[in-house]
Amino acid sequence: MTSASQAGPRYRVGVDVGGTHTDMVLADTLTGKIRIEKLPSTPHNQSIAVIEGMRRFLGHGIAPSDIGFFGHGTTVTTNALLELKGAKIGLLINSRMRGVLEVQTQGRDGFSPFDHFFHRPEPLVRPKFVREIGGRVDYLGAEIEPLDEAAVEQAARDLAAQGATTFAICFLFSFMNPSHEERAAAIVRKAAPGAFVSRSSAVLPRIREWPRFSTTLLNAYLAPALARYCGDLAQGLDGIDVRTKQRFLMQSNGGVMPLVADAETHTVRTLLSGPAAGVRGAAVLLGKEQGWANIITMDVGGTSCDIAFIENGEPHEQSEGVIDGRIVGVPALDVITIPAGGGSIARVNDGGMLEVGPHSMGASPGPACYGRGGDRPTVTDADVVCGALNPDYFLGGRAKLDVEAARAAILRDVATPMGADVSLAASGIVRIVNAHMTDAIRVEAAKRGIDLTGFTLVPFGGAGPVHAAQVAQQLAIPRVLVPPNPGAYSALGLLCTDVQHDYLRSDLRDAATLDLADAERAFAGLRQSAEAELAAEGLAPASAGFSREMDLRYAGQGYELRVSLAGLPDPLDAPAMAEIVRRFHAQHEQQHGHCALDAAVELVSYRLRASVPMPKYRSQKVARQEPQSEPKPRGVRRLTLGPNETVEAVLWRRDDLYPGWSTKGPAIVEQVDATSIVPNGWSVRADDFGNLLIERDA
Amino acid sequence: MTVDPITVQILRNRIGCLMEEMSHHFFRSGYSTIVRESRDFSCVIVDAQGRLIVAPPMFYHAMSYQRLIKRIIEVYGLDGIEDGDVYVCNHPYEGAMPHASDMGTVAPIIVNGALLGFSGAIAHKADIGGAVPGSSWGSATEMYQEGLLLPPIRLRRAGKTLPDVERLIAANSRQPELVLGDLRGQVGATLIGRDRVKSLAQEHGSDLIVAALDAMAEASAREFKAALSRLPDGETQAEGLMETDSREGPVRIHLKVTVRSGHLTFDFTGSDPARKAPVNLRRALVESCCFHALIGLIDPNLRYSDAAFEMVDVRTTPGSVCEALPPAPCSSYMKACQRLIDIVFEALNPFFPQRAAAAAGGSGGTITFAWGLGPRAVRGNQHEIFGSAYGGGQGRDGASGTTVHLSNIYVTPIEIVETEFPCRIRAFELIPDSGGEGEFRGGLSFRREYEALQPALVLYRGDRAIYPAKGYGGGADGRPSRFLVNPGAADEQQLPSNCRVDVEAGQSFRVEASGGGGFGDPRKRAAEAHEQDIEDGYVTK
Repeated sequence: MTSASQAGPRYRVGVDVGGTHTDMVLADTLTGKIRIEKLPSTPHNQSIAVIEGMRRFLGHGIAPSDIGFFGHGTTVTTNALLELKGAKIGLLINSRMRGVLEVQTQGRDGFSPFDHFFHRPEPLVRPKFVREIGGRVDYLGAEIEPLDEAAVEQAARDLAAQGATTFAICFLFSFMNPSHEERAAAIVRKAAPGAFVSRSSAVLPRIREWPRFSTTLLNAYLAPALARYCGDLAQGLDGIDVRTKQRFLMQSNGGVMPLVADAETHTVRTLLSGPAAGVRGAAVLLGKEQGWANIITMDVGGTSCDIAFIENGEPHEQSEGVIDGRIVGVPALDVITIPAGGGSIARVNDGGMLEVGPHSMGASPGPACYGRGGDRPTVTDADVVCGALNPDYFLGGRAKLDVEAARAAILRDVATPMGADVSLAASGIVRIVNAHMTDAIRVEAAKRGIDLTGFTLVPFGGAGPVHAAQVAQQLAIPRVLVPPNPGAYSALGLLCTDVQHDYLRSDLRDAATLDLADAERAFAGLRQSAEAELAAEGLAPASAGFSREMDLRYAGQGYELRVSLAGLPDPLDAPAMAEIVRRFHAQHEQQHGHCALDAAVELVSYRLRASVPMPKYRSQKVARQEPQSEPKPRGVRRLTLGPNETVEAVLWRRDDLYPGWSTKGPAIVEQVDATSIVPNGWSVRADDFGNLLIERDA
Repeated sequence: MTVDPITVQILRNRIGCLMEEMSHHFFRSGYSTIVRESRDFSCVIVDAQGRLIVAPPMFYHAMSYQRLIKRIIEVYGLDGIEDGDVYVCNHPYEGAMPHASDMGTVAPIIVNGALLGFSGAIAHKADIGGAVPGSSWGSATEMYQEGLLLPPIRLRRAGKTLPDVERLIAANSRQPELVLGDLRGQVGATLIGRDRVKSLAQEHGSDLIVAALDAMAEASAREFKAALSRLPDGETQAEGLMETDSREGPVRIHLKVTVRSGHLTFDFTGSDPARKAPVNLRRALVESCCFHALIGLIDPNLRYSDAAFEMVDVRTTPGSVCEALPPAPCSSYMKACQRLIDIVFEALNPFFPQRAAAAAGGSGGTITFAWGLGPRAVRGNQHEIFGSAYGGGQGRDGASGTTVHLSNIYVTPIEIVETEFPCRIRAFELIPDSGGEGEFRGGLSFRREYEALQPALVLYRGDRAIYPAKGYGGGADGRPSRFLVNPGAADEQQLPSNCRVDVEAGQSFRVEASGGGGFGDPRKRAAEAHEQDIEDGYVTK
């Protein structure tokens, strides 16, 4: 697992754009070394910071032609959605079916059930831009009323004239028979040249109309923004002569897609990609290469904590996500976001109970100790008062933290109302935010049928390592692993991905009577789409690996489980189908605690994943040589972790440490982008890959 | 024993998460569409007295648990309740279940011989017998017509299910597999809750858990007390009528609210006697409705525990529609609850001007299809639950096309309906002008129109066909609901809000829910808001 020089250009770049910072990693395939750049993000056009970072890399004497891979995680679509700055959609929907848009699920998810002021997120398309179109297919895909083509044409002209630049076409049962949607798309393209056209049978050919329509609307809303951004970025890269064709965008599913991928079908796949790269990086580098098969990742920033589970080196996936109250029905790494971060606000409620979050001071004005006008006590303030964070070494000393401001805010809003002293109140804030993270990990693990025994907790993001050991303690997990650059982990993760496209089609059938020839035809159709798409993206279909899955459920169930067909014959035979059903029962048992061997099982969807392997960053061993002198502690700090739990912790600087170094807690290890806490009863050592391992003493 | 408040808070969150975990297991594992698509269930952890510490999202079950557990203790005695037991009950009176279709399961949490509390769940069952498929019959006159009745009895003993009880339930159901499948999932969730609390007790010690449960209950009581102490003293009254299908005519619910020094009295003693029709409520439901509205008006994120009863009295008369006695039938309890909440809002609005709201559209109705013979073989009954719309409120139009207040239920997707059952949905759309006019408009309700592709017996139970959602403060009423057979045809016919119809293949019918009431004087409505409504087609004039 040492660096191996690979054919082709020497350098690869990973770029992760976040709300505040753009993190960039340059990996040298020859030496295995990485270089990191952190720039302020440029939200109005993210490519400006990206290109500036590229220039900085090139400023180190690197030839643009030596850059052979560019992997990019962008929040362009996510931001455009959250700020409601997408394009004007014209929507075509079946006659008298627009209630699907208005009623949605009919439920009130995301709202307190007591809140009679419930309201849905702002609609992406106003009723005025919705046109009802005659034509209908039934549940088997048979046409029962022909498409009203004249109405489509009229609608496209009218809507384009009203300013629609992107169209969504959403017809019932189009996943069974896409011909009406296809025909309508062709008519729209002709009637409204240059407009984007997203149709539900191409974006998400899956049963259940609202999730499919919601996903299609999101795609239509955001496609122009993503296409524009990709254009800007490509131009910017060309402008600095970085001409590699290997330019990729991060997707929610943990894989990448080419920058030139079809925005009319693929835009929505970037929407939940924010936390995916870091998880992917952990899965590949730690899970696959370094042998940490079972990992919980915990990415803690200013406002939130993203949690993911990696089992046997594979991150968990979900087939549907929610963003800002809207359903996104595309596969995504299963990342749970909870409102717990450095900026989470602490307050005492009327019942005298201390609450932390969900509100956050964010990065601006930020915690009281930032001295930028924030006066509410936050988790970061508590960390400073408890002694976990060094006020003089924040961001490596580039910023100072105001301890007195932190103490004053905690005294006023927490300690005084609770009748406690400030350091006890501060440790209470930390305990509660840690408990939020612990609860979330425990509940989410249980939901997924995961037994946490043998798992390692991997914190990253600026505020992860400072809380991780205490969270691990609560979870009875004996080990925390802090990777070398926790602040740039997502950017590094971008160098650990493959091109990964998912294809799906629903066709609800009884599993027992399923015609296997039909099943093979369905899979062949998916494969055809995959190969055509890869070819269109300039990738060799022959280099792709394909994996097949089926979504199964008990008859009448509202949800499906994804069952892998790995290891089964292709084409399927009857024993293979029986094995699939057996796997389904077993998975149901594992996830839900029971199964129903007698109940009828239904096939809901076919799935195919196409993966094209990309050259990757590999884990690098640090030379195992004793330094000339032993690392020296940088001092001692009082650290309060709870009532009667104040200790003198020894301070270490991470850059001083070498593989094999170790010490006992209580200790604090500081580095530019993070601080790691080693509680009493725990020890820390540096391993061969530059990770810090914080382990409970036996 | 005293526990530090941080630990109490941490444990409270743990219990909340644990209840969520139970619900999730149940939600994903239930077999019938009601549990899976409609999520008509709740899961809780309560203390040894049966007091709720954290409210379940399905709040109308909240007050049933304490009564059910009290009854179990009466029947079996504290000494007779053993580790490994699970009790089951669907009795609307003896176990305070909302109606016979809702089955409760309860497991004691016993550590080292000491009872720490109970884990429990309540969930709707697809069919437990009675006069009609699905068991809920709008024309029932006695609870005996609403299905098999189980008083609290043991379902499991010493960790083993008693097959006799399962067989008894199965023998009384038209859909025994679904019911037993759901019941087993429910028991599974109940046991998960029990076992998790046991391991909490191992981690922290039983004494600490018991003390922490007490402290949690008291903390939320303090939150309530603080909120209620800010209210001005005063007295208000409200009343409303609800249609029943019986010849007894409508039923009247009357409420007098009194606030004195932060103490709140809900007095329903002016309400009508119980009816032969199944609109009858019991104390548990009335109390749930009062607290539901109160929490919504104070702060939707306020945390409820049963200790909040310190500051609140609810008065009802035995034998009245608010405190019915056996054998009064119960299965239309949801529309009665929704109506009661609207009345509670009307009476409480003056105390909470910032969050005041007009009446909602109530239950949008339920429809059950028992499919007859035809080209397609059908698995089970088709059952759908509809939402209505919220009333307008201070500063905000009511939300359209949604389940309201106590009900939070998904609509069954058209593509699932048509794939599983021999019918076609011909329209699913909001109804223009169905929201009551006001400075803040009532939400619009929706219509769903069906065409049967093979013969079926259709049972429809709706609400607000005669008495619409009232406007408030000068706002207009919402549009009433309708159930139409052969809509748009020459022989279109409106049927009463509780009916059963035999439909032929090719016949169509339409469900139209009731719109929400308007809030405030319509002449004060902002001109832009009105123009937007016209442009959106929500309002036609």
